[in-house]
Amino acid sequence: MPQITYIEASGQSTTVNVPEGWSLMQGATANGVEGILGECGGSCACATCHCYVDEPWLAKLSAPTEGELEMLENTASERKANSRLACQIKATAALDGMVVHLPESQE
Amino acid sequence: MPMFRFDPYSPLVDADPFPAYKTLRDEHPCFWSEEAGMWILSRYHDIVAAGNDWQTYSSARGNLMTELPGRAGATLGTTDPPRHDRLRGLIQQAFMKRNIESMGDNIRDIARQAAAELKGRKQIEFISDFSSKFTVRVLFAVLGLPMGDEQTVRDKAVLMVQSDPKTRAKGPEHIAAYNWMQDYAAKVIAERRANPTGDMISQFSLAEIDGDKLDEREVLLTTTTLIMAGIESLGGFMSMFALNMVDFTDARRQCVANPALLADAMEESLRYNTSAQRFRRSLQRDVELHGQTMKAGDFVCLAYGAGNRDERQFADPDKYDITRKPRGHLGFGGGVHACLGMAIARLAVRVAFDEFHQVMPEYLRVQEKLDWMPSSTFRSPLKLELSIK
Ligand code: HEM
Ligand code: FES
Repeated sequence: MPQITYIEASGQSTTVNVPEGWSLMQGATANGVEGILGECGGSCACATCHCYVDEPWLAKLSAPTEGELEMLENTASERKANSRLACQIKATAALDGMVVHLPESQE
Repeated sequence: MPMFRFDPYSPLVDADPFPAYKTLRDEHPCFWSEEAGMWILSRYHDIVAAGNDWQTYSSARGNLMTELPGRAGATLGTTDPPRHDRLRGLIQQAFMKRNIESMGDNIRDIARQAAAELKGRKQIEFISDFSSKFTVRVLFAVLGLPMGDEQTVRDKAVLMVQSDPKTRAKGPEHIAAYNWMQDYAAKVIAERRANPTGDMISQFSLAEIDGDKLDEREVLLTTTTLIMAGIESLGGFMSMFALNMVDFTDARRQCVANPALLADAMEESLRYNTSAQRFRRSLQRDVELHGQTMKAGDFVCLAYGAGNRDERQFADPDKYDITRKPRGHLGFGGGVHACLGMAIARLAVRVAFDEFHQVMPEYLRVQEKLDWMPSSTFRSPLKLELSIK
């Protein structure tokens, strides 16, 4: 299973084995990572799964859909060039070792 | 030892599915139910994985355990991507939290009025005296339906999700209710097309993305589904939430003292007493799971209510604990088919109970034994009598 590391705004870091096919939002909410809420259940309708993807990994992700780009306009914390929605990123073997930082606030 | 069976049409399962769920999770995590004619998945992990893999676990042959005729393939809940995403794209905007919040005052007025009607009463039947009036009015306001037929619409919505416990199918009365609802929806749609207002039905019956519009059947069945899902799901959940609030006195008192806690209590009730218990998918290919081979074409039940009590995911799952914050619970499903109406539902339930508690902060349960709705998909009591202290 791909290992994903979530680093909260406080600095607290959690590494989780996320099953392939699960989203990074699901990996976080199912494992007690506090900094991701995932209020809409992953239907790309809430932007409470906002994360910042560390540089080397950003290029490995498929480009955000139009729906994701629209929702990214509604993040509670600052949107940056490496902002993504964790519910729209599916864990795959290629993402093993990936690190994401979580924003100060999600709502 | 008698062979284990699981019958989602049984009144015993309507009343208390949880002991059977535990056996399913522990001993038969991939179980063929002869009575249902489908596989049952009951562990949290397996349900999430299936929900993610819509290529394999398709909704296109229906998602209700006992499907209504003509619905498969034509609504949000009964199509797969990319068609599903197109339909959802046309209407999702209107259901997003930030667009729902503007309706907060309106919803509060409805709640306050429904609660005011209870003042001075010594005993009430929560569903007919409060929650059904409230949900139907909220839904009419949200969807922009013309006032006047609320009670009939509510009664038909409740009837159409039920099934006959003896024949294990939709009976003539359930189909008749469904047909009535389609005729009703057709009238409203024609009305709105002729005289569009800003309401939701006008919006999506006319919505267009890149020249793409919903076809007639999609508009009709999506409207029908929204009315059914809105009224029945919201009403059903409210009665389950009321049941938790009356049974868990400490939790209720905390919510009365600090209504901000209602949001957490609601999430815990969605987990603990999942009102939308079971939905189904159909397999697009053979799947091996827990030593069983499920065949392409087989139906699979995702037992959300069982996954929500899985100790592999939720510590001490049979305990009701409003401080739990059960993120990732399955009470609204998840993934591409996650409930479209959850922002409305969350706002409406919070406001409704806040207002209800202002009029009735203390109440007791009257019936020792409850009668449950006969439904293979949903679970809620038919009546909930409360006496007021
Ligand atoms: C507390 C109340 C509610 C609960 C517990 C609930 C539960 C659910 C669940 C579990 C699903 C997933 C079905 C599946 O996996 O096949 C769902 C889907 C859906 N719900 Fe709700 N629901 C509620 C309220 C509402 C309301 C108020 C509306 C509309 C106004 C609504 C509209 C829908 C629609 C359209 C879908 C299909 C979404 C899709 O497939 O993309 N629901 N709901
Ligand atoms: S969970 Fe809501 S947008 Fe990602």
